[in-house]
Amino acid sequence: MKRFLYRTLFFFGPDLLFALFVAFILTSLDGNRVLAGAIAAGVVSMVAVRAVLFRIGSRFYYAQRIDAIRGLVEEYKKGRYIVPKIEISGRDELLELYGDMRTLGKHLSSVINSQKTELEKFQNLYNSIVFSLSTYYLILNGEDKIVFANTGLCEKFNFEQNEIVGKRIEDIFYFVNRRLKEGLRQVRKYENSVLLEKTHLLSMKKVSIIADIKISNIVLQEKRHEIVVIDDVTNRLQKDYQISLMSQITESIQKDDEIDRILHTILTGVTSGAGLGFNRAMLFLLDEKSQTLHGKMAVGPDSFEEAIEIWSSIASRNPEESISADDEKASGKALLKNVMNASFGMDQDSVFTRAMKTMMHIHVLDLWNEQDISEEIRALLNVKEFVIVPLVAVNRSIGVVVADNKFNKAPIGKGDIELLSIFASQAALSIENYVQLDSVRNEMQKLGQRQDAIVESEKLAAIGRISAHIAHEIRNPLVTMGGYARRIFQLARDREKGKDVSGIKDAAMIILNESERLEKILSNVMDFTRPSRYIREFNNINEVIEDTVNLLKNLFLEKKINVETNLETDVPLIKCDFNQMKQVMLNLLQNSIDVTGPGGRIVISSESTAENIVVRVMDSGSGIDQEDTSVVFEPFFTTKVTGVGLGLAIVKKIIKDHGGDISVRNITEGGSEFVIILPVPV
Amino acid sequence: MAKILIVEDEQHQRELYALELQDEGYEIDQAANGKEAVELVKTNKYDLVIMDIRMPEMDGIEALGKILSKDKKIPIIIYTAYSNYKSNFMTWTADAYITKSSNLDELKNKIQEILATRSGI
Repeated sequence: MKRFLYRTLFFFGPDLLFALFVAFILTSLDGNRVLAGAIAAGVVSMVAVRAVLFRIGSRFYYAQRIDAIRGLVEEYKKGRYIVPKIEISGRDELLELYGDMRTLGKHLSSVINSQKTELEKFQNLYNSIVFSLSTYYLILNGEDKIVFANTGLCEKFNFEQNEIVGKRIEDIFYFVNRRLKEGLRQVRKYENSVLLEKTHLLSMKKVSIIADIKISNIVLQEKRHEIVVIDDVTNRLQKDYQISLMSQITESIQKDDEIDRILHTILTGVTSGAGLGFNRAMLFLLDEKSQTLHGKMAVGPDSFEEAIEIWSSIASRNPEESISADDEKASGKALLKNVMNASFGMDQDSVFTRAMKTMMHIHVLDLWNEQDISEEIRALLNVKEFVIVPLVAVNRSIGVVVADNKFNKAPIGKGDIELLSIFASQAALSIENYVQLDSVRNEMQKLGQRQDAIVESEKLAAIGRISAHIAHEIRNPLVTMGGYARRIFQLARDREKGKDVSGIKDAAMIILNESERLEKILSNVMDFTRPSRYIREFNNINEVIEDTVNLLKNLFLEKKINVETNLETDVPLIKCDFNQMKQVMLNLLQNSIDVTGPGGRIVISSESTAENIVVRVMDSGSGIDQEDTSVVFEPFFTTKVTGVGLGLAIVKKIIKDHGGDISVRNITEGGSEFVIILPVPV
Repeated sequence: MAKILIVEDEQHQRELYALELQDEGYEIDQAANGKEAVELVKTNKYDLVIMDIRMPEMDGIEALGKILSKDKKIPIIIYTAYSNYKSNFMTWTADAYITKSSNLDELKNKIQEILATRSGI
């Protein structure tokens, strides 16, 4: 300011002195107004001209410097901080300022550059993290429009980044199923995150995956967006599904209709997105009698629209569900009908019968250019590429599975065929097993019928084994009877001689008694030979025990086994078949005799509780050398050299038939104890 | 008169033998099992023992051994319903082995035969 005042004074000083001089003259020229006026106007215009010249001069002087500084500022505004120097001669404050500003620019530039490098480093790191993520993600602008999609997503679904941006989500995926839409709605409404598990996505480029989709809110440039994170779980799910499928297929088939279940499982597995992901699958089975391959089952849509419909409706579900579900049967009616009507004679050469005969899969890459495929098959399949996999059981083919990707036209990979082959052979084995099982079952049935006969004969055999002892049992009363009869005969003769014959009456009495005893022995034995039709009557279990012990009396004596009976008096009567119960006791006692050596002991006891009667047969034998003692009741289990091992099995059967139970245990003193529990009728 | 011990568990049979043999003129003692027989032999002198085999308490074969160990010379007739015991060597130490019958003639004849041989020596 001072400088300016000084310069102004320096420039306008002479003008000011001249103006004062003129003013002095003007005051002396009193009266001559015209001249005075002209002089004053001349002075004023001269000062004005001088002022204009001053302004122009100073402007010229500063213009270069100002322009240089302004140019500098303009460059700075553009973010360029290093500006080439404009040479201006002279040395004044403006030039100094210009110099300072340039230096400052250089400083700024270096600071900014160093920050930029840092930023770039972070940016790279960030980018590589984002792009290397295996998950795919989309950013939606709140109105379902895509504003960003990561590279992973573009690559996976076969899109260019610019193909996606600006599109609606429906425009890049064939169907956006209800869950995804509902998820987006929820995120918008409640501002929370939503996780959609196992959602089926099929892109317009026909790439399909199963994904866990997470939708959350994200704020970008102060506007609400949604970020859709797509986690591809196809592989994991496929593995799970395949394992589950495999286990279902390997599950043993028990009934006829389960064959259909296995076959349907395979076909749905083959066509399920989570399974092998084929579009269609058809099954043909060999009819052994007519040697013809018949269409048996088919799964898959009839058109691409139908396929989309199926996929969007069953977009996500568990493997278990998709196997048991029959919902796909509604679609693909035409396919099913065509397949069911198709049949191929094994004597005719076709691509199907060839797969059957060679037991190898056939992969047809281009049906239209394949010469030796019949018109019938062309018309039936109507697809360029397909694979035929035979169902090979142990050593023969029982049918074929045909699979293709008619609708998404995805190429059939080697891995797909291998997996399909594994499933097919496993299913064939399951079916073959069932066929074998069925024939075994038929044999078992026949055996069962024979077994009843064996059981009957075994009962007789049991009594046969003790027949020698029964013979002696019979001989004793017989000898006694005969002896006394002879005596009576003798006494009768003596009477004629007048001798004392009082013994006749006694002898006759003895014969009577002995004949009764004989009858009893015989009926005791005969009981065992009766057919085993149960006659349920109220019986005293003690009688059964006593009768049987009596029958075996001689055997006990011969084997030197002491028998004790410890029977509860007044045991309640139980409803049972007397003879069958005797059979039980006979078999148990025989068993005990067999395992008990001379000098051994057998104790038979009966006792009762409110609901049951408990009969125990305890022996001092060798006990049971088995971890599981119940095994002795298994048919044909035997440790003896003789005998078929049915004795205890019969015992168990009879006791079970009577609603009772039998068990056996080893006792600490050595030997074993059989415990029979029979219900007392209420 | 010869004294005979009948060892037999069947009461009626035992009594029948006793009656029949008493009629023949023998003096008879009775034992219901081997144990009783051994006891009786200890205290009495018998010319002959008729022994059943299958008996409770002590069977005929065991009793046979015990009686013979006490008096080797005492004649013993085994009289039993079992024919298979004939093959048992122990029984050969007995003087005779007869299978039971309602006809006692064989037994009576054998008794006579043995007693005659004994008295002859």
